[in-house]
Amino acid sequence: MENTDLSLPLIRTDRLSKVYSTAKVRVVALAEVSLRVAEGIFLAVAGASGSGKSTLLNLIGGLDSPTSGAIEVRGRRISELDKEELALYRRQGVGMIFQSFNLIPSLTALENVALPMMFAGVSKAERKERAERMLERVGLSHRLTHRPAELSGGEQQRVAIARALVNRPSVLLADEPTGNLDSRTSREIVELLADLNRWHGLTVLMVSHEEALVREFAASVVRLRDGRVESEEVLR
Amino acid sequence: MRFSDELGWAFSNLRKRKLRTFLTAFGVTIGIGALVSMVSFGTGMQRNVSQTFRSLDLFNSIIVLPGDFLRRPGPDPDEKSVALPPSEISSTVLDDAASARIAAFDGVETVFPEVRIPALVRWNGEEELRVIQVLPAKVAASRMIKFSAGKPYDTDDENSLIVSSSLLLRLGVREPAAAIGKPIGISTIAFDFSLLSPAGLMAALGGEKLPLVLEEHEFVVAGVAEDLVFDGPGPMRSEVYLPPGPAGKMKRLPFTSIWDLFRAKEGRLGYSALNVRLSSPSSIEPVKKKIKEMGFGVFAFSDQFGEIRRGFLIMNMILAAVGMIAIVVASLGIVNTMVMSILERYSEIGIMKAVGAGDRDIRRLFFFESGAIGFLGGVFGLALGWAVSGIINRVVNFFLARQGLPFIHYFSFPWWLCLGAVLFSVLVSLAAGIYPAMRAARVDPVRALRHD
Repeated sequence: MENTDLSLPLIRTDRLSKVYSTAKVRVVALAEVSLRVAEGIFLAVAGASGSGKSTLLNLIGGLDSPTSGAIEVRGRRISELDKEELALYRRQGVGMIFQSFNLIPSLTALENVALPMMFAGVSKAERKERAERMLERVGLSHRLTHRPAELSGGEQQRVAIARALVNRPSVLLADEPTGNLDSRTSREIVELLADLNRWHGLTVLMVSHEEALVREFAASVVRLRDGRVESEEVLR
Repeated sequence: MRFSDELGWAFSNLRKRKLRTFLTAFGVTIGIGALVSMVSFGTGMQRNVSQTFRSLDLFNSIIVLPGDFLRRPGPDPDEKSVALPPSEISSTVLDDAASARIAAFDGVETVFPEVRIPALVRWNGEEELRVIQVLPAKVAASRMIKFSAGKPYDTDDENSLIVSSSLLLRLGVREPAAAIGKPIGISTIAFDFSLLSPAGLMAALGGEKLPLVLEEHEFVVAGVAEDLVFDGPGPMRSEVYLPPGPAGKMKRLPFTSIWDLFRAKEGRLGYSALNVRLSSPSSIEPVKKKIKEMGFGVFAFSDQFGEIRRGFLIMNMILAAVGMIAIVVASLGIVNTMVMSILERYSEIGIMKAVGAGDRDIRRLFFFESGAIGFLGGVFGLALGWAVSGIINRVVNFFLARQGLPFIHYFSFPWWLCLGAVLFSVLVSLAAGIYPAMRAARVDPVRALRHD
């Protein structure tokens, strides 16, 4: 463990701001958000739509770059990385899942899970083996050759989780993972995330406005409002 | 990302969109097919000509021309008043003495004069006007003439001749072997020497009297010559060959060009040219030098071959340029397909970026996909060009065969053309893929993932 000192968090944002500006309008999506995410925590991010939750996740996930402020992951300033370094960080440092699953429809479950390893240059045989093991862990060993359209919403999200974790990242970013699922399946998915957090030490950062699920599984919750941190609450 | 994965991804993407891949690659196929058949036609012609040169032994042949032939700047009859001193005149006449002197040079195998006679060829009531050529038996038996039936005449004094299969066909003989040993008539057109006074010539030119008489001779067909694939400037340019013996007894027009007429009037009657065959191409330069010292003009076919090669190079380039137009159009098709593909796979690109693909990876995936289209188009284009040129070759030869001409391969597919066509197709397609690839790499993952 590189990060045994609890005073050094896994993720730290320092007055992080994101402003989308066109010629006429200037939208502040995130305004000076300073957060600390301890390693191994299950942290929920809540807030109304437009409060900046997804923007925060995209910035931490390295999909977007901040207008000002800094992001550090394991003490490394990812807000200063160039495009190719950022791609490497997305490939190995974080895993992301989304409300709409974002699986590639033409690929089978196995191929979808193997995709991040292709960009990492892993051999074909190893990709297949690791993807199979990952799908088994999320309970889909019987769905390897199914395409997304042949899977239920919950199954698709499990495939997405397997894909996000296949390159062994230290943090999983979940952007409203239950937004497209019924309540029973939603609970199963969040439970899976909580299990991964509890038994494998995976740090989970989950955006959600399903208060009940957040209260049941998350260790603490950060509430955003108009791009600012409104409150931080420790649940357990 | 591994190279094998990039290739595999490109081809599997193309497989997923079969119709569009087919249509786009088909554009390339047509372009490459056009290019390949054009260039293969050019190289085929070039190969045929050089083969003809080789089979006729033209690389060993030179032609000697009368000295004054090259010295005359233009066809001005008045120039004959600027007469050369008699000593020099005699040395520049191509007579039997000059022929014997040249034959004695090192490396010279055979010397025979260029004698051509306009004559009517008669067979079973059919008649054709041809310029017939006098050829010593020794030369007729060399490999410069290929026989489809019969054999060359044995001696220079035989009353037999060699006729080409295409002339026989025109005279109504389909099977060359059937003509062997049969009689054939030759009517020479002779000059009426009684008119060779200035007054008589004026009367003849004025149309008062034609200064010609017809003289009939009977020959036997000894051999039937195959037609030349390409009749170039070689010494064998006739459809009828006679031995010198009987030919010498014929009354005939003593000239084949207008210059001969004037030479005849000056009393300097020599041959219009001598054909010289050498034992090897290395003798060309020394023999040429000696003949020039004698005061004659010399012309080597090997010199001309260089000119012909340059000509073919230009022809090939023009043909390739025509094919290139089709390639340019096809490459625009690739650009279009790939740009469409970006729009279609917008969210897919976003997903790939989210799971760790760099701009470079995306750029290369699209780049490779264009290259794969080019590869498919190139391979099928090569096959198409090969098939089309094969069909054209058959059709053309079908019609040529009806005129008694031998089968000719007009197209040539050397290895460099096959390899080059596919390689070129891939390169052009990669170039067409540059812009779409750059554009795909610029896709913003946040926007792409919000897409749906």
